[in-house]
Amino acid sequence: MPEFEKLHQAVLDGDQKAARSLTEAMLAEGVAPLDMITKAMVPAMDEVGRRFECEEYFVPELLLSARAMKASMELLRPLLTASGAQPAGRVVIGTVKGDLHDIGKNLVASMLEGGGFEVVDLGADVAPEKFIEAVKQSGAQIVALSALLTVTMPSMRTTIDALNQAGIRNQVKVMVGGAPVTSQFATEIGADGYSENASAAVQLARKLMAGSQA
Amino acid sequence: MRLKLIGCEVLYRELCDAVARSPHQVDIEFLPKGIHDLGGEPMMKEIQARVDAVPPGTYDAILLGYGLCGMGLHGLAARHTPLVLPRAHDCIALLLGSRTRYEEHFQNYPGTYYRSTGWIERGKDIQQIAQNRTGLGLSLEALVAKYGEDNGHYLYEELTRYRNTYNRMAFIETGLEADNRFEEEARWQAAEQGWRFEKIQGDLGWLRQLVRGEWRENGFLMVQPGERIRATWKDDIIRAEDIRSRATV
Repeated sequence: MPEFEKLHQAVLDGDQKAARSLTEAMLAEGVAPLDMITKAMVPAMDEVGRRFECEEYFVPELLLSARAMKASMELLRPLLTASGAQPAGRVVIGTVKGDLHDIGKNLVASMLEGGGFEVVDLGADVAPEKFIEAVKQSGAQIVALSALLTVTMPSMRTTIDALNQAGIRNQVKVMVGGAPVTSQFATEIGADGYSENASAAVQLARKLMAGSQA
Repeated sequence: MRLKLIGCEVLYRELCDAVARSPHQVDIEFLPKGIHDLGGEPMMKEIQARVDAVPPGTYDAILLGYGLCGMGLHGLAARHTPLVLPRAHDCIALLLGSRTRYEEHFQNYPGTYYRSTGWIERGKDIQQIAQNRTGLGLSLEALVAKYGEDNGHYLYEELTRYRNTYNRMAFIETGLEADNRFEEEARWQAAEQGWRFEKIQGDLGWLRQLVRGEWRENGFLMVQPGERIRATWKDDIIRAEDIRSRATV
Protein backbone atom coordinates (compact mmCIF):
# COMPACT_ATOMS: atom_id res chain seq x y z
CA MET A 1 0.00 0.00 0.00
CA PRO A 2 2.78 2.54 0.51
CA GLU A 3 2.83 3.14 -3.28
CA PHE A 4 -0.76 4.34 -3.18
CA GLU A 5 0.13 6.66 -0.32
CA LYS A 6 3.15 7.99 -2.20
CA LEU A 7 1.08 8.69 -5.29
CA HIS A 8 -1.59 10.29 -3.12
CA GLN A 9 1.10 12.49 -1.55
CA ALA A 10 2.64 13.43 -4.92
CA VAL A 11 -0.74 14.74 -6.10
CA LEU A 12 -1.26 16.61 -2.82
CA ASP A 13 2.21 18.17 -3.14
CA GLY A 14 1.65 19.08 -6.78
CA ASP A 15 4.74 17.07 -7.66
CA GLN A 16 4.24 16.23 -11.33
CA LYS A 17 7.49 14.31 -11.79
CA ALA A 18 6.92 12.10 -8.77
CA ALA A 19 3.31 11.43 -9.80
CA ARG A 20 4.41 10.31 -13.25
CA SER A 21 7.33 8.13 -12.13
CA LEU A 22 5.28 6.50 -9.35
CA THR A 23 2.52 5.73 -11.84
CA GLU A 24 5.03 4.19 -14.23
CA ALA A 25 6.57 2.10 -11.45
CA MET A 26 3.19 0.90 -10.21
CA LEU A 27 2.06 -0.03 -13.72
CA ALA A 28 5.28 -1.99 -14.15
CA GLU A 29 4.50 -3.85 -10.91
CA GLY A 30 1.11 -4.77 -12.32
CA VAL A 31 -1.11 -2.49 -10.22
CA ALA A 32 -4.51 -2.05 -11.87
CA PRO A 33 -5.04 1.45 -13.34
CA LEU A 34 -8.55 1.68 -11.90
CA ASP A 35 -7.16 0.94 -8.42
CA MET A 36 -4.70 3.79 -8.74
CA ILE A 37 -7.53 6.11 -9.60
CA THR A 38 -9.92 5.03 -6.88
CA LYS A 39 -7.32 4.48 -4.15
CA ALA A 40 -4.94 7.37 -4.83
CA MET A 41 -6.09 10.02 -7.33
CA VAL A 42 -9.72 10.53 -6.38
CA PRO A 43 -9.02 10.62 -2.61
CA ALA A 44 -6.07 12.97 -3.23
CA MET A 45 -8.14 15.38 -5.31
CA ASP A 46 -10.91 15.22 -2.69
CA GLU A 47 -8.33 16.15 -0.06
CA VAL A 48 -7.06 19.00 -2.27
CA GLY A 49 -10.67 20.20 -2.50
CA ARG A 50 -11.05 19.99 1.28
CA ARG A 51 -7.87 21.99 1.86
CA PHE A 52 -9.06 24.58 -0.64
CA GLU A 53 -12.42 24.88 1.13
CA CYS A 54 -10.75 25.55 4.48
CA GLU A 55 -8.23 27.93 2.89
CA GLU A 56 -5.12 25.85 3.47
CA TYR A 57 -4.73 25.66 -0.33
CA PHE A 58 -5.27 28.48 -2.78
CA VAL A 59 -5.50 28.66 -6.56
CA PRO A 60 -1.77 27.95 -7.22
CA GLU A 61 -1.83 24.76 -5.10
CA LEU A 62 -5.01 23.66 -6.88
CA LEU A 63 -3.39 24.18 -10.27
CA LEU A 64 -0.29 22.24 -9.26
CA SER A 65 -2.21 19.29 -7.84
CA ALA A 66 -4.38 19.15 -10.94
CA ARG A 67 -1.22 19.14 -13.04
CA ALA A 68 0.34 16.27 -11.05
CA MET A 69 -2.91 14.34 -11.33
CA LYS A 70 -3.02 14.91 -15.08
CA ALA A 71 0.56 13.65 -15.49
CA SER A 72 -0.53 10.37 -13.97
CA MET A 73 -3.84 10.28 -15.83
CA GLU A 74 -2.08 10.65 -19.17
CA LEU A 75 -0.50 7.26 -18.54
CA LEU A 76 -3.64 5.66 -17.15
CA ARG A 77 -6.31 6.92 -19.52
CA PRO A 78 -5.23 4.96 -22.63
CA LEU A 79 -5.17 1.77 -20.53
CA LEU A 80 -8.61 2.51 -19.11
CA THR A 81 -10.04 3.25 -22.55
CA ALA A 82 -8.52 0.05 -23.91
CA SER A 83 -10.10 -1.94 -21.09
CA GLY A 84 -13.47 -0.38 -21.84
CA ALA A 85 -13.75 1.49 -18.52
CA GLN A 86 -16.16 4.43 -18.69
CA PRO A 87 -15.31 7.89 -17.34
CA ALA A 88 -17.32 9.21 -14.36
CA GLY A 89 -19.16 11.31 -16.92
CA ARG A 90 -18.63 13.52 -19.92
CA VAL A 91 -18.73 17.29 -19.47
CA VAL A 92 -18.85 20.06 -22.07
CA ILE A 93 -17.46 23.22 -20.47
CA GLY A 94 -16.91 26.84 -21.51
CA THR A 95 -17.31 30.47 -20.51
CA VAL A 96 -20.48 31.93 -21.98
CA LYS A 97 -20.73 34.29 -24.92
CA GLY A 98 -19.12 37.66 -24.26
CA ASP A 99 -17.03 36.45 -21.31
CA LEU A 100 -13.30 36.15 -21.91
CA HIS A 101 -12.32 35.22 -18.36
CA ASP A 102 -11.34 31.59 -18.23
CA ILE A 103 -9.07 30.96 -15.25
CA GLY A 104 -11.96 29.70 -13.11
CA LYS A 105 -13.29 27.59 -15.94
CA ASN A 106 -9.85 26.05 -16.52
CA LEU A 107 -9.59 25.20 -12.85
CA VAL A 108 -13.00 23.52 -12.85
CA ALA A 109 -12.06 21.58 -16.00
CA SER A 110 -8.85 20.34 -14.32
CA MET A 111 -10.64 19.38 -11.12
CA LEU A 112 -13.30 17.49 -13.10
CA GLU A 113 -10.62 15.58 -14.99
CA GLY A 114 -9.04 14.81 -11.64
CA GLY A 115 -12.38 13.49 -10.48
CA GLY A 116 -12.42 11.02 -13.36
CA PHE A 117 -14.59 12.99 -15.79
CA GLU A 118 -13.92 13.34 -19.49
CA VAL A 119 -13.92 17.05 -20.29
CA VAL A 120 -14.64 18.72 -23.62
CA ASP A 121 -13.28 22.24 -23.11
CA LEU A 122 -14.73 24.72 -25.60
CA GLY A 123 -12.67 27.61 -24.24
CA ALA A 124 -13.89 31.17 -23.67
CA ASP A 125 -16.62 33.34 -25.23
CA VAL A 126 -18.58 30.31 -26.41
CA ALA A 127 -21.78 30.90 -28.39
CA PRO A 128 -24.88 28.80 -27.51
CA GLU A 129 -24.73 27.03 -30.92
CA LYS A 130 -21.25 25.76 -30.07
CA PHE A 131 -22.44 24.22 -26.81
CA ILE A 132 -25.28 22.52 -28.70
CA GLU A 133 -22.95 21.17 -31.36
CA ALA A 134 -20.50 19.86 -28.76
CA VAL A 135 -23.25 18.11 -26.79
CA LYS A 136 -24.52 16.44 -29.97
CA GLN A 137 -21.03 15.37 -31.02
CA SER A 138 -19.72 14.18 -27.67
CA GLY A 139 -22.86 12.77 -26.11
CA ALA A 140 -22.01 14.66 -22.93
CA GLN A 141 -24.29 14.27 -19.91
CA ILE A 142 -23.29 17.60 -18.36
CA VAL A 143 -22.91 21.15 -19.68
CA ALA A 144 -20.89 23.46 -17.40
CA LEU A 145 -21.22 27.22 -17.93
CA SER A 146 -18.94 29.87 -16.45
CA ALA A 147 -19.18 33.68 -16.22
CA LEU A 148 -17.13 36.24 -14.30
CA LEU A 149 -19.16 39.37 -15.02
CA THR A 150 -22.72 40.31 -14.13
CA VAL A 151 -22.85 41.74 -17.67
CA THR A 152 -22.43 38.29 -19.20
CA MET A 153 -24.54 36.31 -16.74
CA PRO A 154 -27.66 36.69 -18.96
CA SER A 155 -25.74 34.66 -21.60
CA MET A 156 -26.13 31.67 -19.30
CA ARG A 157 -29.90 31.99 -19.58
CA THR A 158 -29.62 32.38 -23.37
CA THR A 159 -27.49 29.23 -23.58
CA ILE A 160 -29.97 27.17 -21.55
CA ASP A 161 -32.85 28.52 -23.67
CA ALA A 162 -30.93 27.52 -26.81
CA LEU A 163 -30.43 23.97 -25.45
CA ASN A 164 -34.20 23.86 -24.94
CA GLN A 165 -34.94 25.07 -28.44
CA ALA A 166 -32.50 22.56 -29.90
CA GLY A 167 -34.49 19.85 -28.14
CA ILE A 168 -31.51 18.53 -26.15
CA ARG A 169 -32.12 20.16 -22.77
CA ASN A 170 -33.50 16.92 -21.34
CA GLN A 171 -30.42 14.97 -22.39
CA VAL A 172 -28.07 17.02 -20.25
CA LYS A 173 -27.70 18.48 -16.78
CA VAL A 174 -26.56 22.10 -16.73
CA MET A 175 -24.28 23.37 -13.99
CA VAL A 176 -23.25 27.01 -13.61
CA GLY A 177 -20.56 28.87 -11.71
CA GLY A 178 -18.32 31.93 -11.59
CA ALA A 179 -17.67 34.65 -9.02
CA PRO A 180 -20.98 36.59 -9.34
CA VAL A 181 -23.18 33.53 -9.92
CA THR A 182 -25.49 32.47 -7.09
CA SER A 183 -27.69 29.45 -6.45
CA GLN A 184 -30.74 31.68 -6.72
CA PHE A 185 -29.66 32.81 -10.18
CA ALA A 186 -29.05 29.18 -11.16
CA THR A 187 -32.61 28.31 -10.14
CA GLU A 188 -34.05 31.33 -11.94
CA ILE A 189 -32.48 30.44 -15.26
CA GLY A 190 -33.41 26.77 -14.98
CA ALA A 191 -29.95 25.31 -14.37
CA ASP A 192 -29.72 21.97 -12.58
CA GLY A 193 -26.96 22.97 -10.23
CA TYR A 194 -24.63 25.68 -9.00
CA SER A 195 -21.25 25.34 -7.43
CA GLU A 196 -19.39 27.95 -5.45
CA ASN A 197 -15.90 26.79 -6.33
CA ALA A 198 -13.85 24.35 -8.37
CA SER A 199 -13.73 21.58 -5.80
CA ALA A 200 -17.47 21.73 -5.07
CA ALA A 201 -18.01 21.54 -8.85
CA VAL A 202 -16.70 17.95 -8.83
CA GLN A 203 -19.12 16.94 -6.04
CA LEU A 204 -21.93 18.62 -7.96
CA ALA A 205 -21.06 16.84 -11.21
CA ARG A 206 -21.06 13.49 -9.39
CA LYS A 207 -24.45 14.31 -7.88
CA LEU A 208 -25.86 15.31 -11.25
CA MET A 209 -24.57 12.10 -12.83
CA ALA A 210 -26.16 10.02 -10.05
CA GLY A 211 -29.41 11.90 -10.65
CA SER A 212 -29.32 11.48 -14.43
CA GLN A 213 -28.85 7.73 -14.12
CA ALA A 214 -31.64 7.32 -11.58
CA MET B 1 -30.93 68.09 1.23
CA ARG B 2 -28.31 66.65 3.49
CA LEU B 3 -26.83 63.55 1.95
CA LYS B 4 -24.33 60.91 2.95
CA LEU B 5 -22.21 59.42 0.19
CA ILE B 6 -20.53 56.06 0.70
CA GLY B 7 -18.34 55.34 -2.29
CA CYS B 8 -15.50 53.24 -3.55
CA GLU B 9 -12.15 55.00 -3.44
CA VAL B 10 -11.61 54.03 -7.06
CA LEU B 11 -13.98 56.95 -7.83
CA TYR B 12 -12.26 59.31 -5.37
CA ARG B 13 -11.49 62.20 -7.69
CA GLU B 14 -14.74 61.91 -9.64
CA LEU B 15 -16.96 61.82 -6.53
CA CYS B 16 -15.07 64.68 -4.82
CA ASP B 17 -15.57 66.76 -7.96
CA ALA B 18 -19.28 65.91 -8.07
CA VAL B 19 -19.72 66.76 -4.38
CA ALA B 20 -17.99 70.11 -4.82
CA ARG B 21 -20.52 71.02 -7.51
CA SER B 22 -23.60 69.67 -5.70
CA PRO B 23 -26.30 72.06 -4.47
CA HIS B 24 -26.65 69.79 -1.44
CA GLN B 25 -24.55 69.25 1.64
CA VAL B 26 -22.86 65.91 1.11
CA ASP B 27 -20.72 64.04 3.62
CA ILE B 28 -18.38 61.59 1.93
CA GLU B 29 -17.01 58.32 3.21
CA PHE B 30 -14.71 56.29 0.99
CA LEU B 31 -14.24 52.56 1.38
CA PRO B 32 -11.09 50.75 0.26
CA LYS B 33 -10.96 49.45 -3.28
CA GLY B 34 -9.74 46.17 -1.79
CA ILE B 35 -13.23 45.13 -0.74
CA HIS B 36 -13.97 44.79 -4.47
CA ASP B 37 -11.65 41.80 -4.44
CA LEU B 38 -13.74 40.17 -1.71
CA GLY B 39 -16.70 40.24 -4.10
CA GLY B 40 -20.24 39.02 -3.51
CA GLU B 41 -21.60 38.69 -0.01
CA PRO B 42 -18.37 39.51 1.89
CA MET B 43 -18.17 42.81 -0.02
CA MET B 44 -21.86 43.51 0.64
CA LYS B 45 -21.36 42.94 4.37
CA GLU B 46 -18.49 45.45 4.50
CA ILE B 47 -20.67 48.09 2.88
CA GLN B 48 -23.68 47.14 5.02
CA ALA B 49 -21.60 47.75 8.16
CA ARG B 50 -20.86 51.30 6.96
CA VAL B 51 -24.49 51.90 6.01
CA ASP B 52 -25.57 50.67 9.47
CA ALA B 53 -23.10 53.00 11.16
CA VAL B 54 -24.79 56.08 9.67
CA PRO B 55 -26.75 57.81 12.47
CA PRO B 56 -30.54 57.75 12.01
CA GLY B 57 -32.48 60.92 11.30
CA THR B 58 -29.44 62.79 9.99
CA TYR B 59 -29.62 62.40 6.21
CA ASP B 60 -32.33 62.54 3.58
CA ALA B 61 -30.63 59.71 1.72
CA ILE B 62 -27.49 57.61 1.67
CA LEU B 63 -25.91 57.66 -1.80
CA LEU B 64 -23.84 54.70 -2.91
CA GLY B 65 -20.94 55.39 -5.24
CA TYR B 66 -20.98 51.84 -6.56
CA GLY B 67 -22.46 49.67 -9.30
CA LEU B 68 -23.65 46.12 -8.76
CA CYS B 69 -19.92 45.33 -8.72
CA GLY B 70 -19.93 41.56 -9.30
CA MET B 71 -22.88 41.05 -6.92
CA GLY B 72 -21.04 43.04 -4.24
CA LEU B 73 -24.17 45.13 -3.54
CA HIS B 74 -26.74 42.34 -3.95
CA GLY B 75 -28.60 42.00 -0.66
CA LEU B 76 -27.56 45.37 0.79
CA ALA B 77 -30.43 46.69 2.95
CA ALA B 78 -31.70 50.17 3.79
CA ARG B 79 -32.28 50.51 7.56
CA HIS B 80 -33.63 53.93 8.61
CA THR B 81 -32.55 56.08 5.66
CA PRO B 82 -33.28 55.44 1.97
CA LEU B 83 -30.39 54.32 -0.24
CA VAL B 84 -29.88 55.68 -3.74
CA LEU B 85 -27.56 54.07 -6.26
CA PRO B 86 -26.94 54.05 -10.00
CA ARG B 87 -28.26 51.13 -12.07
CA ALA B 88 -24.76 50.24 -13.24
CA HIS B 89 -22.86 47.00 -13.55
CA ASP B 90 -19.63 48.56 -12.33
CA CYS B 91 -17.46 51.65 -12.03
CA ILE B 92 -16.40 51.48 -15.68
CA ALA B 93 -20.03 52.04 -16.68
CA LEU B 94 -20.17 54.96 -14.20
CA LEU B 95 -17.03 56.51 -15.67
CA LEU B 96 -18.38 56.14 -19.20
CA GLY B 97 -21.58 57.90 -18.18
CA SER B 98 -24.30 55.48 -19.27
CA ARG B 99 -25.25 51.82 -19.55
CA THR B 100 -25.72 52.18 -23.30
CA ARG B 101 -22.24 53.52 -23.81
CA TYR B 102 -20.79 50.83 -21.56
CA GLU B 103 -22.55 48.08 -23.50
CA GLU B 104 -21.36 49.57 -26.79
CA HIS B 105 -17.79 49.48 -25.57
CA PHE B 106 -18.22 46.01 -24.10
CA GLN B 107 -19.56 44.59 -27.36
CA ASN B 108 -17.42 46.54 -29.83
CA TYR B 109 -14.14 46.23 -27.97
CA PRO B 110 -14.03 42.91 -26.11
CA GLY B 111 -10.71 42.17 -24.51
CA THR B 112 -10.30 45.67 -23.14
CA TYR B 113 -8.73 46.38 -19.77
CA TYR B 114 -9.86 49.73 -18.34
CA ARG B 115 -7.86 52.21 -16.35
CA SER B 116 -8.74 55.52 -14.69
CA THR B 117 -7.04 57.72 -12.09
CA GLY B 118 -8.50 55.63 -9.28
CA TRP B 119 -7.52 52.34 -10.86
CA ILE B 120 -3.96 53.64 -11.05
CA GLU B 121 -3.42 55.44 -7.77
CA ARG B 122 -5.72 53.62 -5.36
CA GLY B 123 -5.58 50.38 -3.40
CA LYS B 124 -2.20 49.06 -4.49
CA ASP B 125 -1.47 47.68 -1.04
CA ILE B 126 -4.74 45.74 -0.89
CA GLN B 127 -4.03 43.81 -4.07
CA GLN B 128 -1.54 41.79 -2.04
CA ILE B 129 -4.39 39.89 -0.37
CA ALA B 130 -5.87 38.77 -3.67
CA GLN B 131 -2.39 37.90 -4.97
CA ASN B 132 -1.78 35.40 -2.20
CA ARG B 133 -5.08 33.68 -2.86
CA THR B 134 -5.02 33.58 -6.63
CA GLY B 135 -1.34 34.01 -7.44
CA LEU B 136 -2.44 36.54 -10.06
CA GLY B 137 -0.04 39.40 -10.50
CA LEU B 138 2.90 37.58 -8.91
CA SER B 139 6.17 37.77 -10.82
CA LEU B 140 7.89 34.74 -12.29
CA GLU B 141 10.67 35.20 -9.72
CA ALA B 142 8.20 35.20 -6.83
CA LEU B 143 6.46 32.08 -8.10
CA VAL B 144 9.73 30.22 -8.65
CA ALA B 145 10.92 31.19 -5.18
CA LYS B 146 7.73 29.82 -3.62
CA TYR B 147 6.95 26.77 -5.75
CA GLY B 148 10.28 25.77 -7.28
CA GLU B 149 11.67 26.07 -10.80
CA ASP B 150 9.35 23.72 -12.71
CA ASN B 151 6.09 24.46 -10.88
CA GLY B 152 6.87 28.19 -10.71
CA HIS B 153 7.25 28.43 -14.47
CA TYR B 154 4.09 26.39 -15.00
CA LEU B 155 2.06 28.62 -12.66
CA TYR B 156 3.40 31.77 -14.29
CA GLU B 157 2.30 30.49 -17.67
CA GLU B 158 -1.17 29.50 -16.40
CA LEU B 159 -1.74 32.67 -14.41
CA THR B 160 -0.65 35.05 -17.17
CA ARG B 161 -2.54 33.33 -19.96
CA TYR B 162 -5.38 35.85 -19.47
CA ARG B 163 -3.08 38.45 -21.03
CA ASN B 164 -3.64 36.82 -24.38
CA THR B 165 -7.40 37.29 -24.10
CA TYR B 166 -6.93 41.03 -23.64
CA ASN B 167 -5.51 43.13 -26.44
CA ARG B 168 -6.37 46.68 -25.55
CA MET B 169 -5.89 49.07 -22.65
CA ALA B 170 -8.35 51.96 -22.50
CA PHE B 171 -7.56 54.91 -20.28
CA ILE B 172 -10.75 56.76 -19.35
CA GLU B 173 -9.91 60.45 -19.24
CA THR B 174 -12.31 62.54 -17.19
CA GLY B 175 -10.59 65.93 -17.32
CA LEU B 176 -9.92 65.75 -13.58
CA GLU B 177 -6.34 64.56 -14.05
CA ALA B 178 -3.93 67.11 -12.61
CA ASP B 179 -1.17 66.03 -14.96
CA ASN B 180 -0.45 63.32 -17.50
CA ARG B 181 1.12 60.83 -15.11
CA PHE B 182 -2.01 58.63 -15.08
CA GLU B 183 -2.15 58.39 -18.85
CA GLU B 184 1.58 57.71 -18.93
CA GLU B 185 1.24 54.96 -16.33
CA ALA B 186 -1.61 53.37 -18.32
CA ARG B 187 0.45 53.59 -21.52
CA TRP B 188 3.34 51.95 -19.74
CA GLN B 189 1.14 49.14 -18.38
CA ALA B 190 -0.29 48.56 -21.87
CA ALA B 191 3.20 48.35 -23.37
CA GLU B 192 4.30 45.96 -20.64
CA GLN B 193 1.44 43.59 -21.50
CA GLY B 194 1.83 44.08 -25.24
CA TRP B 195 -1.65 45.60 -25.55
CA ARG B 196 -2.82 48.42 -27.79
CA PHE B 197 -3.34 51.68 -25.89
CA GLU B 198 -6.27 53.98 -26.40
CA LYS B 199 -7.54 57.01 -24.56
CA ILE B 200 -11.31 57.37 -24.32
CA GLN B 201 -13.35 60.22 -22.92
CA GLY B 202 -15.11 59.70 -19.62
CA ASP B 203 -18.49 61.25 -18.89
CA LEU B 204 -19.13 62.35 -15.31
CA GLY B 205 -22.81 63.13 -15.89
CA TRP B 206 -24.14 60.00 -14.20
CA LEU B 207 -22.10 60.46 -11.01
CA ARG B 208 -22.96 64.17 -10.88
CA GLN B 209 -26.68 63.38 -11.15
CA LEU B 210 -26.30 60.99 -8.22
CA VAL B 211 -24.82 63.71 -6.03
CA ARG B 212 -27.11 66.48 -7.33
CA GLY B 213 -30.19 64.47 -6.40
CA GLU B 214 -31.40 64.04 -9.98
CA TRP B 215 -32.48 60.47 -9.57
CA ARG B 216 -34.41 59.59 -12.70
CA GLU B 217 -35.92 56.10 -12.57
CA ASN B 218 -34.00 54.89 -15.59
CA GLY B 219 -30.60 55.68 -14.13
CA PHE B 220 -31.06 55.17 -10.38
CA LEU B 221 -32.69 52.89 -7.86
CA MET B 222 -34.09 54.16 -4.57
CA VAL B 223 -34.21 51.58 -1.81
CA GLN B 224 -36.60 52.46 1.02
CA PRO B 225 -36.12 51.40 4.65
CA GLY B 226 -37.19 47.77 4.92
CA GLU B 227 -36.01 47.00 1.41
CA ARG B 228 -32.81 45.60 0.02
CA ILE B 229 -30.98 45.63 -3.30
CA ARG B 230 -31.51 42.68 -5.57
CA ALA B 231 -29.84 41.91 -8.92
CA THR B 232 -32.35 41.35 -11.73
CA TRP B 233 -29.94 40.10 -14.43
CA LYS B 234 -31.97 42.18 -16.85
CA ASP B 235 -31.56 45.62 -18.43
CA ASP B 236 -32.57 47.46 -15.23
CA ILE B 237 -29.72 45.58 -13.41
CA ILE B 238 -31.13 46.05 -9.89
CA ARG B 239 -34.44 46.40 -8.09
CA ALA B 240 -35.62 46.91 -4.52
CA GLU B 241 -37.03 43.92 -2.69
CA ASP B 242 -38.96 43.76 0.59
CA ILE B 243 -36.49 42.59 3.21
CA ARG B 244 -39.03 40.13 4.64
CA SER B 245 -39.29 38.18 1.40
CA ARG B 246 -37.58 34.84 1.63
CA ALA B 247 -35.12 34.94 -1.23
CA THR B 248 -31.59 35.95 -0.37
CA VAL B 249 -28.61 34.98 -2.52
